[in-house]
Parts: sequence; C-alpha cells; structure tokens
Amino acid sequence: MKHCLLKPLSLDAWDDRYRELVSSGLIEPFYGGPLSRHVTASGDHRLERLRFDSSPAALRLWNFLLTENERLRKARAAGDRLVGAMKDLGTVPVMAYALEGLRAFYPDGTWWTPCLMEETDCLLPKAEALGIDASFCPVRAMLAAFQDGGHFPRPDFLVCSAGAVCDDFSAIAQRLEKLGFPVLWWEMPRRRAPEPGEAQVVLPGGMVTARELVDCVREELARVGEALAELAGQTPSDAIWNKAVRAANQVRGLLAELRRTVYHAPVAPVPALEMLIAEMLAIHYCSDREETVAVLTDLLDEARRRLSTRIGVVAENAVRVFWVNPVADLRAMNLLEEWGGCLCGSDFMFTHALDPIPEDMPPLEALARTALADPMVGPAADRAARVVREARAAKAEAVVVARIPGASHSATEGRVILEAVRHALGLPGVEVEIAPVCDAMQPTLAGRLQALLETARARRVKKP
Amino acid sequence: MIFAGIDAGSRSIKVVLYDAETRKVVGRGIAEQGVDQAQLAEALFEQTLEVSGFGRNQVARTVATGYGRGSVRFADSTVTEITCHARGVWQTSPDARTIIEIGGQDSKVIWIEPDGRVRDFAMNDRCAAGTGRFLEMVATRLGVDLRELSVISWASARPAVISSTCVVFAETEIIGLLASGAAVPDIAAGVQKAIASRVSAMAMRSVVPPVYFTGGVALQPGMCRALQEALETEVQVVQDPQFTGALGAALVAAAQ
Repeated sequence: MKHCLLKPLSLDAWDDRYRELVSSGLIEPFYGGPLSRHVTASGDHRLERLRFDSSPAALRLWNFLLTENERLRKARAAGDRLVGAMKDLGTVPVMAYALEGLRAFYPDGTWWTPCLMEETDCLLPKAEALGIDASFCPVRAMLAAFQDGGHFPRPDFLVCSAGAVCDDFSAIAQRLEKLGFPVLWWEMPRRRAPEPGEAQVVLPGGMVTARELVDCVREELARVGEALAELAGQTPSDAIWNKAVRAANQVRGLLAELRRTVYHAPVAPVPALEMLIAEMLAIHYCSDREETVAVLTDLLDEARRRLSTRIGVVAENAVRVFWVNPVADLRAMNLLEEWGGCLCGSDFMFTHALDPIPEDMPPLEALARTALADPMVGPAADRAARVVREARAAKAEAVVVARIPGASHSATEGRVILEAVRHALGLPGVEVEIAPVCDAMQPTLAGRLQALLETARARRVKKP
Repeated sequence: MIFAGIDAGSRSIKVVLYDAETRKVVGRGIAEQGVDQAQLAEALFEQTLEVSGFGRNQVARTVATGYGRGSVRFADSTVTEITCHARGVWQTSPDARTIIEIGGQDSKVIWIEPDGRVRDFAMNDRCAAGTGRFLEMVATRLGVDLRELSVISWASARPAVISSTCVVFAETEIIGLLASGAAVPDIAAGVQKAIASRVSAMAMRSVVPPVYFTGGVALQPGMCRALQEALETEVQVVQDPQFTGALGAALVAAAQ
C-alpha cells in the first residue's frame, strides 16, 4: 500500500489551515496563534520563504521557537534570573534548570535571527561596526543583539566556555565582555586519547580520554555550579545536580525517540526543517524545559500517528541523506526535500545535547564526561567516525556536510568527514556552503545537491 | 527519433541533437550566454534545428543541463551537469574512470563506474580560482585572446608561482609579476598550473585512470599538460569537449 504524501505549507497557506484548525476546536498553549503573526509583529520575513509542516504539533513547535523573547521577558518580570549559556556543551542549561528561579537561554541562538529576519534588523552590519566582521561565523549577530536589547533581555549572568571550542565564538564573547557584559569563563581542554599508562575514562558515545581532562572539566563545572547556585540563593549539592541530569535525560530520551521514529521510518513522517528545529530544543529548551517536553511529545505523537496511517512528507523513493552541521539559511532544509531527498540522520553539532547523560555516577562527573564527548572539542576524525557510524545505521545513501560561512570549526572538517564516509561506506558526499540568506546561491546549491541525489539514485540500479 | 540536449552554462549555451536510431549527433550549436538566458536558449535551439534540417515536432524529448538549466522552459526535464558530463564522456570514451570538467564557473572531478554511472564527484565552490573564469581574467590582464593564452604558455621555461586561492588576489599577484618583469608565457603557464593544482587538490589523490578532460577549458592544450603534471597521470581531452554536457543531456533524454 502506498503512502499518502503530505505537502508542506507556505506561510499564507498556514493561515488558512490555522483558521480551519481553530474552527475545529484546536486547543493551543498560551504562546499559540497563527505563524504569520511573527512576520507582522517581529519582522521575521525569512519565514515567508519557508515551507512548514501542516500539523498542529509543528505549529506548536514553531510558535514555541519564535516566542522565546516574550517568554524570557515574562520570566524576568516574574522575578526569574536569566542565565545566558554560551558554548555550553550541553551542561550549563542542565544545571541552571535544576535551580529554582533560574532560567537559562542560549544567546548563541541569535545567529539565526538574521537568517529569519533577512536584513530587517541589521544585526550583522551592527556586529561589524562593533569590530566583528564577516570573516567570523554568523553567531556574531549575538554581539549586536546584546547591544540593541531587542532580541532577548539582558541576562543577569553570562557563562561561556573557552579553549577547545569555537574560536569565532571565543573572539565574539571576549568582545562582548569588553563592551561591558561580564562573563564567567570556564575552561574546556581539548579531548585527547590517554597516553600509555595514563588513567582513562570512557565517555558517552564510547570515546576514551584521559582521566585528568575529566577531572579538570568536573572542577570547572563545579565552579560554574557554585556561581549558578549563588545566583539562585541556594547551596549546590549532588541531589540538585542529579535532579538536573534526570530532567535533561527526559528531554534527550524524547528526542532520541523522535529521531529514531522519523529517521528510521521507510518514509519520513516529519520534514527535515521541523526535525532541525526539534533537535535544537535539546540545547537550551528554548527557555522552558517543561514546555519542551510537551512540544516534543506532540511531535513524536504526530510522527507515530502518521507512520501508523502511512502518511509521509516525502516521496517513497526519496534519497536518504545524512546531514552534517546546521544551516545558516533554514530554507536549505526545504530544498533538500523539494529536490527529492529526505533526512535519514543528522549531526547538527547538537550531539552534545542528544546523548543521555550517565546517571550511574556522581552528576558533575557525568556532566564533565558529557561535555568532553562533544564532537567540537576533539579531533575531526572523532566526529567523522560518529558520522560514519550513524550514517551506516541510518542506511544513508548520501551525506551532505553544510558549511557555515566564516565558522572556524567547520572550515576543514567537512573534508575529513567526507573522506571517512567515502572510505568506510563508499557513499557519495558533498560539502555545501550555505549563507544566512542563500537565495542568490540557489543555482549553485541546486547543482551540488541535485547532482548528489542523482548520483545516489543511479547507484540504486543493480550493476549489469 | 531525435533527442535534444541543451547545456545552459555560465559562459555559453550548447545544443546537441541526437538521432537515437543511427546513434549519431545530427546537429549542434553554440552561443554566448547572456542576460535573457531563456530567450537565448530558445533562439539557439531553433537555429540549430533549422540548420540541421529538423522541425521542432521531430524532437521527441529535450533535457536541459548546466547552471542555467532551470531557465530552459521548453525542456521536458532537467538533469545536473555531473550526470550529463559523465554520460557524454562515457559515450565516446567508455574506458573513462575519472572525468575532469573545467567550465566557466566551476570545476568538477567525476568518478565513474565501468558501466558509466557516477560513483562520486567533487566540485569547487568557494571561488573562481579553479575555473575558466580565472583564465579569462588573466587573458584580459595580459591583453591576449583566451585561445592565445594557451599557445603562449608553451613557450614558458619557468612557470610563475601564483599562490592566491582567490581570483581577485591572484590578479593582484599577476600585476605584481608583470611589474617585476616576469615573462608573459611564464605567467600564463603559472596560472594553468595554479588551476591544475586546485583541481588536483579537489581530486583528493583519488584519481583513477584513464582520466578524461572535458568542458570548454579543455580546448586549451596547455591546461591538459598542466593537469597531467599535477595529477601525475595521463589526461586525455575528449572529442569536442565543449559539447559533452549537451551530448550527455541528449543521451539522457533518449534513455528517459
């Protein structure tokens, strides 16, 4: 029996769909409403170019994502203290949400704002005026957002890792500090294999590193934890952090189930774009962990419902693509499907927030191990090995490595990943650079992605 | 039954008419690319049909490829250059295992299976330094015709070193070389060497012989020599390399 193909909706079409849903009794959370209001109210014009999943679950996901600013301001007004977690490596929001009265968010996420708002808010030119030009990652938009105060309230406390993380980000955060935003820095050493005879530790995901690195990160996290607890007026304890780990794992478990359901399905039941947004929630919960659980549960229910009723969002013969790195223009995820591909797996650089945090050891030790398992803090070969493993499990037919213009951590690792994929799996792969607004590059992007999909499809035919 | 392939490239448009019964190319045409890409492709198609003695109703199917393939509105379908170049080269050189295509805007390395299917490919995507655009810029700067550039390079005894990976900066280097009295043949050969070196890097040391060279830049014999040196293997230029993509598109049309 064939699958029923569900087409994505434009923003205008979503308005009609919204009216239908409301008249048929749609119950929405407090941040609900038609998607087009984000264009009229906030100027997120890039949304007009996107195509959205038509489910109420997707509506909730998008509304949740696009109302973070309002949520943070309400939290501030209600007396919550706001923690800006930068380059958190899956740890700081986990800790912050265990403390009553703290709410963590992810100012780095602002790098997507210019992607959604095109030029309307001029964050990138403003960042350039503040000394961080286009040779840096679009995350530089954050700098201007701190200055203009329009995209999120000024945090009460800023935490940022430094060391074996993104060089661009470190430079931008240092500039931020110079502009008068104090930052609590914590050190992230580069992950390395243990020397012969050196004490070792197995990290989530199976990598092995030196004991001394885990000890170093654990001590750094303890320092961060003390600062957070002081901000919340509480005394840090393992009991608090254990609670934090369990709560984080609830989100991670849900997301893992969603990924398994969607990526392993014969025909994808949720589009690539919504999967990217859903995975992003794991990093910082979009400023509300409990609501994240509700949003992901809805999406998972929808995915299961579609699977059981044979509803898919791509053609049955769509090419299964494993996608590496997030895109600076979300439109690229739509284009993958419009051109005949489907997402069968991903490493959006959020993997540090996807793996379950070990619960069978002291919580700070577990968080330190989780942070050290982040692909960004070790050699590109480690990340390539993970991509190979996951692409194989996902039965991928092709691999795409997206590059973010100016991002130092992805400047050369794409090649390492693709070579590993070719060598280990014999799959075709392509590296594509996706700018914050990729319209002008669309013919070039089409040349690469469509050629990849054609190549993968041609390989399906059995050799004579 | 006639099938048409149209390669709407960044620098020129090519049309090939293919007779599937006689398995022969029965017509072809080429024109400079311009602003109104759709109109130019249509005009070239009509002209090629007329010169070849065919009417539009005799064309069973048309496939467009190339950077501007989306603008060829009368095409029945579009296929990428990777597939079309592979198909076109395999038609005339079935022993090909690696294809290098250097066009006006990008360059590609295509690995193909013995049955002609594409196994994998790599494309440059950062700038024009590995493309025909680089040669055009240099020819303009040196005040010679593009075709002359290749002939001039044969006289080089010591190719100049062009280290920039960006055409704009490379132009600055060339101005510097000219100012320091470097010989024009050495600059021409140096540019070819720089392009070949970028293609070689793109091939990631995975070139499988026999290697065939196609695309408009393959018309420059000096480029083939530079590629051979960079890849350390023999490189053969396919017949009528500028038409390979359009031929491949016509063959794909015939197979659809």
